[in-house]
Formats: sequence, structure tokens, C-alpha cells
Amino acid sequence: MKRFRKWMRSKRGYPNIPEVHSEEDKNSSLTSDLEQNELIFQRLFHNSSDIVFRKVRLAGKNHWLVMYLASLVDEKIIDEHILKPLISNRTKQNDRVSEKTEALDDQFISLGTTSITSKVTNIVRQLLNGHAAVLTVGDGDAMMVKVTGTPQRSLEEPSSEPVIRGPRDGFIENISTNMGLIRKRIKTSRLKMESITLGELTQTQVVITYIVGIVSESVVEEVRKRVSRIHIDGILDSGYIEEFIEDSPFSPFPLVHSTERPDVVAAELLEGKIAILVDTSPFVLIVPMTFWAGMQASEDYYVRWPIATFVRWIRFLFIIIAIFAPPLYVAITTFHQEMIPTNLVLSIASSREAVPFPAVVEALLMEIIFEALREAGIRLPKQIGQAISIVGALVIGQAAVQAGIISAPVVIIVSITGIAAFTIPRYSFANGIRLLRFPILFLAGTLGLYGIVLGFLSILLHVTSLRSFGVPYFTPVAPLTISNLKDVILRVPVWAKTRRPQATGSNNPFREPAGQKPSPSQGKRSSE
Amino acid sequence: MKTFLYIGLLFTVFTTSGCWDRTEINDLAFIAGTAFDITDDGQYILSHQIAIPSQAAPGGGGSGQPEKFFVMSAVGKTINEAFYRLQKRSSRRLFTAHRSVIFIGESLAKRGIQDILDVYTHESKQRLKTYIMVVKGGEARSLLKVKYPFEQVPSEAIKEMEGLRSELAVTLRDFFLASSSEGISPFLGVIMPVGLSEGIKENKIFMLAGTAIFKDFKLVGFLNENETNGFLWVTDRMKSGRINAKLREGDGTVGMILDNANRKITPEISGDKIKFKIQLEGEGTIWENNTPLDIGLPKNLRLVEKAMEKSVEKQVLDTLSKVQKRYKVDSVGFGQEIYRNKPKQWKVLKKQWDHKFQEVDVSITVKLNVIGSGMAGAPLQLKEKEIIK
Repeated sequence: MKRFRKWMRSKRGYPNIPEVHSEEDKNSSLTSDLEQNELIFQRLFHNSSDIVFRKVRLAGKNHWLVMYLASLVDEKIIDEHILKPLISNRTKQNDRVSEKTEALDDQFISLGTTSITSKVTNIVRQLLNGHAAVLTVGDGDAMMVKVTGTPQRSLEEPSSEPVIRGPRDGFIENISTNMGLIRKRIKTSRLKMESITLGELTQTQVVITYIVGIVSESVVEEVRKRVSRIHIDGILDSGYIEEFIEDSPFSPFPLVHSTERPDVVAAELLEGKIAILVDTSPFVLIVPMTFWAGMQASEDYYVRWPIATFVRWIRFLFIIIAIFAPPLYVAITTFHQEMIPTNLVLSIASSREAVPFPAVVEALLMEIIFEALREAGIRLPKQIGQAISIVGALVIGQAAVQAGIISAPVVIIVSITGIAAFTIPRYSFANGIRLLRFPILFLAGTLGLYGIVLGFLSILLHVTSLRSFGVPYFTPVAPLTISNLKDVILRVPVWAKTRRPQATGSNNPFREPAGQKPSPSQGKRSSE
Repeated sequence: MKTFLYIGLLFTVFTTSGCWDRTEINDLAFIAGTAFDITDDGQYILSHQIAIPSQAAPGGGGSGQPEKFFVMSAVGKTINEAFYRLQKRSSRRLFTAHRSVIFIGESLAKRGIQDILDVYTHESKQRLKTYIMVVKGGEARSLLKVKYPFEQVPSEAIKEMEGLRSELAVTLRDFFLASSSEGISPFLGVIMPVGLSEGIKENKIFMLAGTAIFKDFKLVGFLNENETNGFLWVTDRMKSGRINAKLREGDGTVGMILDNANRKITPEISGDKIKFKIQLEGEGTIWENNTPLDIGLPKNLRLVEKAMEKSVEKQVLDTLSKVQKRYKVDSVGFGQEIYRNKPKQWKVLKKQWDHKFQEVDVSITVKLNVIGSGMAGAPLQLKEKEIIK
């Protein structure tokens, strides 16, 4: 156990992680010699085919050096706004050309984001972030100009959370676009976006966003603390961050909510939650998360409330089915046959007549095959995906039953369970639920209903003991906040949901004044 | 190290309390019905009707008409012994929880059934909801072999028939309740094999046929169909029923169907004399009218009601006199009424109730309420002139 703990626990200090700029002294600065400066960078970017050094002459001598990484910038912008002014200026024989780099953006460079630095480390970092560096002869400063132009995907409907009614834009792999998608929805200066760079080699930009005045300042501080604590060579997706900042890393339930939908992020920000955006990841993290957030789809809030409430109840029903249907089948048919109505017991018995396996093995087998099919369906190229489903349906649905290897009721139960797991709107949450089925199935096969009750109670105990950034996971059911159940058990009309959830929005509890229920008389009054 | 201990302790839950009672559903033999008979030398014959699940499935295919059940019998000095012998003949564990009926042979019922009943009170898988009935005129096990066209197994059919409540339906629970209560003797339902239609001997099925009256766990006699009807009413088990009456005026018969029936018994004790007032109330609609009366008219309806009430009164009186005078058993529960309403007097009466019961005076008042006459007043086939208005 000790060894296991030691193995799981990451050590402090990370001597083996190479740092980005270790080749060069951290404090080294540019010299005033342009050729010398060029040499520094040529050495640093040795064997990098995409670095471009462009020298611009003035009066027959190299006067400016423009450096950039062609793969990261929009070269059109460089041509238009850096090179063209510099070159045309030379031909105009303007003798009031400043010798200082600082003055470059006053005279030539017509771009917004510029900065002056002399540190090699900074220049390298910015070059790698899609900036261009402009060096002037005889000056130890470089002007960094933002000309980012990495290829990006267009905004598409998020494939993991599709809706029928509701906005269809989803996050993409570019963080500034993603930030824009949120800004577009919440137009207030109180929406803050704190940036932090993580990953020694990837230098990934991570943005913590929240609305001041609604969010609890201590939770923001906690998020900052947890995020800045991360030391890793590279961050390739927000999933990396999620695993670093979770409260209970061994729980099957996700404690950080991840979404591809900007409208979900906006809604959660308005409830006083905090979103974490990660560059190169279309998935935005939201903390704190509750159990019930896993059961809510964004579309719940866009369709009319009776339908949304009904759909929620269906989900509650099917989450139970997703966990307990196969275990219940196994437990009842192997331990409690007296509980089944006589006619049903006879037909189950007849379908099991030729089956060689015990019911537990049968159910486990089918569940595993189903999971494999599902996994194969996700990973396969789309063209072959269809073949898999046909083979799966034929082999498992029909041939196995006809051959008497698997009984028909098990196939029915497993398919219902499979469908049930897909009714859960949050993908990571559904995964947790799917996983829980197996231990409970095992318990049911060994202990019967007693085992199922045991399993149910331990899940309940676990869920109620979880916390996400100080918020109890099962709230508002446990601890109970009756007024917040309006958005859990029901989905009350928007005009009746006057308060923010108490767990996250108690700083600023009201989101709208009461009494906005529409009625004919109200309409009359307003027209008067 | 402690963690290992905890894990180990948790694991014992799986190993010790685990699979010991795990039985796959296809390792069970589902008993659908049981029959008890007695041999001439006083041994019990236990028979089980066991469902064959593989054939019961629809669309299973196979040649000919596959058997849906089979019957096994074994003899033993006790029921337990007989059951054990049956288990030895079965490749699957006999499973009693799905049993729907228990038959008792007439000869066994006459000898006394107390010895076969105790079996049912011990094991949890024995259902007290099981219907129990006496087989009139024959051996109980022969009834188990009767095939029934509906339902997967014939015993299921009996369960469904009992569920319709058109006849007396007594479960084990009812029987135990009655036999352990003060002032009432238990009774059971009766079943007998009959032909599919009257007069045909082959193609036998079964039908519910009245009531079996018990005294000290011994069968003393039967009530026929008509008497059972009265018996149902007077014991407040009437859910729905049919009443027929002959009408003097107009010369014909009328029939009604009861939707609602109530009973009230009031004991009156004055000195040595015990009197019971039975009030019967019923509500229903006219179902048959073979008289020329136009029962759409209130005046005629009253006549019909009167005749019906008479008929009911006679039916109940017949039943009571048979129970009271011939079988001398308080199956109705008159004693129970005294026990409940006048417990002090009951203490005195208790000892001599068997005698006293036979001298009890019973008066019956029937109040029927016809709430409708159906779609027609007078019979439609009659000419206008023939109808009595």
C-alpha cells in the first residue's frame, strides 16, 4: 500500500523536465550589433526550417532585421504592415528615420499589439507565440509585433453536445476565438479573463474567467492556486488541467465540468462559477461542478419548461436504469426468482434453457461486448463505423441468441442499459455512470439484491461526500436547499427562477425581480 | 497494513455471505400446483404439477403438441418425507414460490387436514396467497393432470378463475385466519373435474363448485352453487353476483347482476335467547326480463325488486339452515360477531357455542336497489299490447 501511494504521489521538484530556453542564459540580452543578434537566433533556431530572417537595407546597409516563424504567423500581415512600410520608407528617402527600435511603431508598423524587449528569452517565447521581431541596427531592443496566423477550424456545432434548439457555435482549438465567444455573450467589464502560461515546453495559455460581483472571491483564489501549482512539460488538452485540479482524483464522477458550448459557459458564469479555457482545446472547464450539472443539457433551458422537466425526469429514471438494470436482472433471476410474476419467470426460464453460462457471466459478457462496440464505433473511421454496427447488431442481437449462447432477455436488458447511458447529456458524467455498472453487476451476481443495496448505498455515500472546490457535489439535494430544487427536480420557467444557486451565487443571489409571470392583464398594463 | 486488513475483511463479505443461495433460473423446477391425497393405509400422496419452461415459450417450434407440464407423485408418512422423495426424482430444485393452487382430495379432507397444513407456515418460499381447495368426488392428483387450453400451466388457470371472484376463493392465509379465530369454522373452495360442456365425458377441464365446510379440520359437507352464493353474501365476500327470481305477476323470470353488496350482522342476546339480525343490501342492474312487465316503470321495478329480495332471502335462509341444522358448524362466523361486539357474553357462551349455535334465531332483511334496467324496459320481442304497464 505504501509503495502504491508512493507510486501515485508525484514528487515535488521536477529535475528531469527540460526547460524551454535552457540553451541560452536566461538573462542574456541583445547586443547592439545586428549581425551578432542574428547569429544568436540562428543558433537557437538551428535546424528549424520555418524561421525567417528578413533584412531590410537602408542606404546600402542592413538596417532592420525582421524575424518570425512562418508556420505561426500570417505572412500577409507582415508583408502589408511591417515590410511594406519599411521598404517604401527607404525609397522615399525619408531622412527623419529614427534609429531607435522604440520608435518603429510610431513610424512604420501599423499593428495593434506591440512591445519592446531586449531579453532573448522573451523574444524567443514571443516568436513561438506567433509574434514577429523587428530589430534595428545599433539598438539592443527588439520590437515584438503580434501577427499570429495559425490555421484554425471554423466554428461548428459541437459534436459532443448537439442541440435541436439553441445556439450552434462551439469552441474551437484557438483560445482567443473561444474567449471571444464568451465575451460576445457577456458584455460587461466585470467579466475577467486572467491569463497564465502552463507547460514547460508547450507554453500553453490558460485563461481563468469569471464575473466579478457574482463569483466568490475565495473560490477564484483557490482556482488560481490550483492552476498555478501545475508543473508539467506539456498541456495538450484541458483534460490535463482537469486531472490536476480535481478534488477527488479517484472518484468515477467528474468533479470538473467540461463543455464545448459557449452558451453553457456563459450560463455557468452567470451562476457564479469559474471557467478555465485552455489554448488548443475546444473543451472549457467549469468549476465547481455538482452532480446535477451532469444531468442537465443546455437545451433544457431553451425549450419550454414542462417539456424540459419531463425530459429531466426521464433522465433521472434512465440513470437508475443505466446503473441498476443489468444488476437487478442478474440478482432477481439468480437469487430471488419468487419476485418475478409466474408467467414472466417461465418465459425467462425457457429462454435461458439452453444457455451454458450463469446469468452474471452472461450479463458481464454482453456488457463488455457492448462497451467494445461503443468504443470501436468512436475510434473507427466514419466509413467503417457502419460496418461495425451491422456486425454488432447481427452477431450479438441475433446469432448469439439463436445459437443459444446468450439469452434474449439479457440482450434486451443490455440494449436498454446502453440507451439509458446515452440519455445522460454530459459525456464525462455518462462515462462515470457506465463504469459503476460493473462493480454493481459483480455485487449483484455474488450477493443478490443485498449486494445491489450495498452498492447503491456506497455510491450514495461516495457522492454525498464529494466536494468540488468547496461545494458539496450533491447539493442542493444533500445538503438540502429546497429553493434550489427548482432547477434540479423541475426546471421552473425562467421568470420563476429568480435566484442564483446558493452554493455558488450567494454573493449576488438575485438574477431577476420576481413577478414577471406573463399574463394578459400584464400585457394590457404595459400598453397603457 | 491496516488498509490490507480492511480490504481483507471486506472481502469476507463476498466469500462468506456470497453465492450460497445462488441458483440459476434454469436449475429450478417451478411447481405450479400441488395435490394431497391419502392412501388406504393412511400415508400421504404428494403430487406436484411442474411447468416445463422450454416448451412454454411461444414460437419455440418442435413437432406435435409439446407438453407444457408434467406431474410427479410420491408417497410418504409425512409431507416432508414425500417432498424429499419427489426432490430425489427431480434434476432441478423444486421451487414452491410460484405455486398458485393446492388441491386436497375429498377422502383426505374427510380424514382431517391439520397435518398437511403446518408445512406451509415454516418456509418463507411458501406463499400464503396460494389458493387452497377441496377436490369434490375424486383424487386431487387426477385434477393436476387435466389439461387446460388457456394459460401455460393449468394451475395458472385456476388462479385466474379464483381471481375473478365469481366463486368462493380461499387462500391459505384466509384458512389460517379462520381456523385460528374465535367463533368461526374454516371453509374451503371446491373444485371438480367436468367435461367441456355438460354431458360430454372426455376432454375434461375443471370448474369451481361451491364450498367445503370444515369442522375441526375435517370436511363435513359441501354447499352447492346456489347455497354458496348465499354463503358468499352472508359472509360478506360478495363482490358481484347474479340473482334470479320468479315473478308471480306477469309469470316469468327476471335476473339481475349485482355491482355492490353489503352485509351487516347484529347479534341480540336477551337472557338465554340469541338472535341475529342480518341486513343485506345490494345494488345492481336488471340483466334479464322474461316477463311481459315494462320494468322501465317504477311501479313494475318495485315488483321486480320485491321478488328478487324474496329470492335472496330464501337463498340465504337455505344456506343457513344447511350450515346450522345439517352440518352444525358455525362457518358464517356468528360466534365471531358476538366475540367482537359482546366479548363479555362470548366468554360465557364460548364453551357451549357448538350447541347454542344450532338454536340461534336468524332474521334476514334484504334491501335491493335496482339502479337501471339496461337498455330496454319491456322485452323487445313482445308486441305493444302484450306488455303490462
